[in-house]
Amino acid sequence: MALPKRIIKETERLMAEPVPGINAVPHEDNLRYFDVSIHGPAQSPYEGGIFRLELFLPDDYPMTPPKIRFLTKIYHPNIDRLGRICLDTTGPPALQIRTILLSIQALLGAPNPDDPLANDVAQRWKDDEPAAIQTAKEWTRTHAMT
Amino acid sequence: MENVDAPSSPTPQAVEANPDLTSAASSDVSSSDEYLPGTLDAPHLIVRLIQCQRCSRPLHTPLRLPCGNAICRSCLPTVRPRTGITYPVAEGREEGFTCYWTGASNCVGEHCVGDCGVDVVLCNVLGLFQEELAFPMPDAGASENPDDSGRIVRWKVDEKGTNSLEDQSAHLSQRGWLWGLYLLAWEGRLPYNATEVVYEPERERAGEQMHQQDDQIRFERLRDRLRAEVDCQVCYSLILDPLTTPCGHTFCRKCVARVLDHTDLCPVCRRKVGIPAAVQAEPLNSTISQIIDHFFADQVASRREADVEDEAGGDHEKDLPLFVCTLSFPTMPTFLHIFEPRYRLMIRRVVESGNGKFGMVMYNRRGREQSDGLGSSTFMQYGTVLMVERYELLPDGRSLVIASGISRFKVIEAGELDGYHVAKTERVDDISLAEEERLEAMETSASPIPDPTDPITPEPPLDSMSTQELLDLSRDFIRNQRQSGAPWLHPRVMLAYGPVPTDAARFPWWFASILPIAEEEKYPILSAVSVRERLKLCARNQDEQANTPSTQLSETYIPQKLVIGTFFAIFLAQVGINFLQTVRGGRRRRQAMELQFPHPLPQLNRRRN
Repeated sequence: MALPKRIIKETERLMAEPVPGINAVPHEDNLRYFDVSIHGPAQSPYEGGIFRLELFLPDDYPMTPPKIRFLTKIYHPNIDRLGRICLDTTGPPALQIRTILLSIQALLGAPNPDDPLANDVAQRWKDDEPAAIQTAKEWTRTHAMT
Repeated sequence: MENVDAPSSPTPQAVEANPDLTSAASSDVSSSDEYLPGTLDAPHLIVRLIQCQRCSRPLHTPLRLPCGNAICRSCLPTVRPRTGITYPVAEGREEGFTCYWTGASNCVGEHCVGDCGVDVVLCNVLGLFQEELAFPMPDAGASENPDDSGRIVRWKVDEKGTNSLEDQSAHLSQRGWLWGLYLLAWEGRLPYNATEVVYEPERERAGEQMHQQDDQIRFERLRDRLRAEVDCQVCYSLILDPLTTPCGHTFCRKCVARVLDHTDLCPVCRRKVGIPAAVQAEPLNSTISQIIDHFFADQVASRREADVEDEAGGDHEKDLPLFVCTLSFPTMPTFLHIFEPRYRLMIRRVVESGNGKFGMVMYNRRGREQSDGLGSSTFMQYGTVLMVERYELLPDGRSLVIASGISRFKVIEAGELDGYHVAKTERVDDISLAEEERLEAMETSASPIPDPTDPITPEPPLDSMSTQELLDLSRDFIRNQRQSGAPWLHPRVMLAYGPVPTDAARFPWWFASILPIAEEEKYPILSAVSVRERLKLCARNQDEQANTPSTQLSETYIPQKLVIGTFFAIFLAQVGINFLQTVRGGRRRRQAMELQFPHPLPQLNRRRN
């Protein structure tokens, strides 16, 4: 199937001007499938970790948002055990791959336990934030630094 | 907004009749009659692109009007409260005004303030015009050079609306055409409707050359910078048929239609778009259209070509879009309710492209292996080409379609386009009549003639029956079923599919369309290429149907009856509403309806109106 011009243009721009701390590479055999890695933002519990994600552009992208999921285990109130992400802005057509990845990076820097996807994590975050952050750091060390 | 060429319609002879002007510098004099888009031939037309039609100054905080025109916010007519309107409740809907363009194309006269968002793309474009054409601004206090050393521009204008043209002129001092004219417009001295514009170049050759260079540089810089502003935020290509939402964002018309298949929110600001799903009827943004056509005419042309190519999937062989849904038969109607975004897109393309044809194939529920390397595709290999007979777009973007079967096909190769299947197909036709006759003669003579007195085989084997007898057998079956009040032969069903056909070739299509058995059982009828074979399959299916326990039977026929019933109810309601609105709404409604029915259905239009 022919690749829409928008996907080609977005990929070209992503390659030409990559976002600092984010790396997204399309698969050779399927240009709709991207291997993504995001560096944990500084001053966050995820600092120093490199998180792998998969991103897939559905057939009717950009009408439907990209499907994106964390492959690396992460302790975060807005990301569940399967790596699914709760984003406020789930892809109107004007939102690009770039902006989605940026908002995920921002989400790592600013966890939002009031809009949780992983309830247990969010609860812990609210009850005992230092302890939750400690766990997040430990998870980052064990899962995202190898 | 009127066509940019329109004001120049007065006689070009007027220019020639003036010997002073023509002799002054015949090659450099240009009137708007010889206007070439994308060039510097008529600089005032470039400036006119962004002039407000009311105040003649460059548009300032332009508002997008629902009729496609743009106007400065300060030029908005007097706003008055709208009374007697309570729905929809939204900010800005309680005030309205009478449009300047009332009666002109597409304008219904009244606009509501809430529909007139600030035109975002146009704002950015105006910023670029300002940056490229107005710089440097003249000193406020400095007096204009009164001598005639600089370029002069002369024009005629009908200022009082009395059809009498008045001569006007201005010295551009030491400025190029674009720069000078933009500043004239900025000062409000260049009327929007100036006609017969004549340019008198500077006498001094060196100065003139400098101005020409200045014009060229400004023009090219402006064009290059504009290009980035006129990309659609949905498809990332040059905006084709710019449509501006009430919130002021501009996209390709087709992109808006595709967005509306999925959501009713603006792709940029997430506000409700408030445009009916029949996007085809919405007026384009005329200012942005003209700007794009002026600067990027060549790109528009190639974009339009690419668009046609994209919709065909770039692969001319796989030219038939497939609707994977049900089993349809030639000459028989199929009733469809289109709600999935991908099929909304497909049907829209089918209707708009003008041929109205698509392929109907049924699901491959049992995952059967298909021939020709299709493998266990999601659909069965044989299908029917359907022609859209009626297309009713519901207000929320869903649609009701009545299509009739044209011919059969076999899928040779399949691909995907924007979520739906497209296929390279091969037409499937019946064997020739000679072959048909030969088959009948061979089969009837080969089989043993049954002894009618033999009580063990009261019914002859199908192979030995003549084709006519096979037809009569099935017709008798229908007659018996009808007499016993079979619900699947309800008059309403007969109304939809027509009376029992007498033509043996057509009968099986009719029979298979209404017989309440599983589609998988009927599928062989579609792929059979001889009339005789089809009739035999019908006869076998009768046994199938007769042997089905009645409870199961009622389960199968109810949905069919229900579907047809519901369909007709919705359809009649829709037609009724439309009729009422036509009667009430008069001209405006009629216009909208014509646009709802694109050209494959003109006769239906007429009947309605």
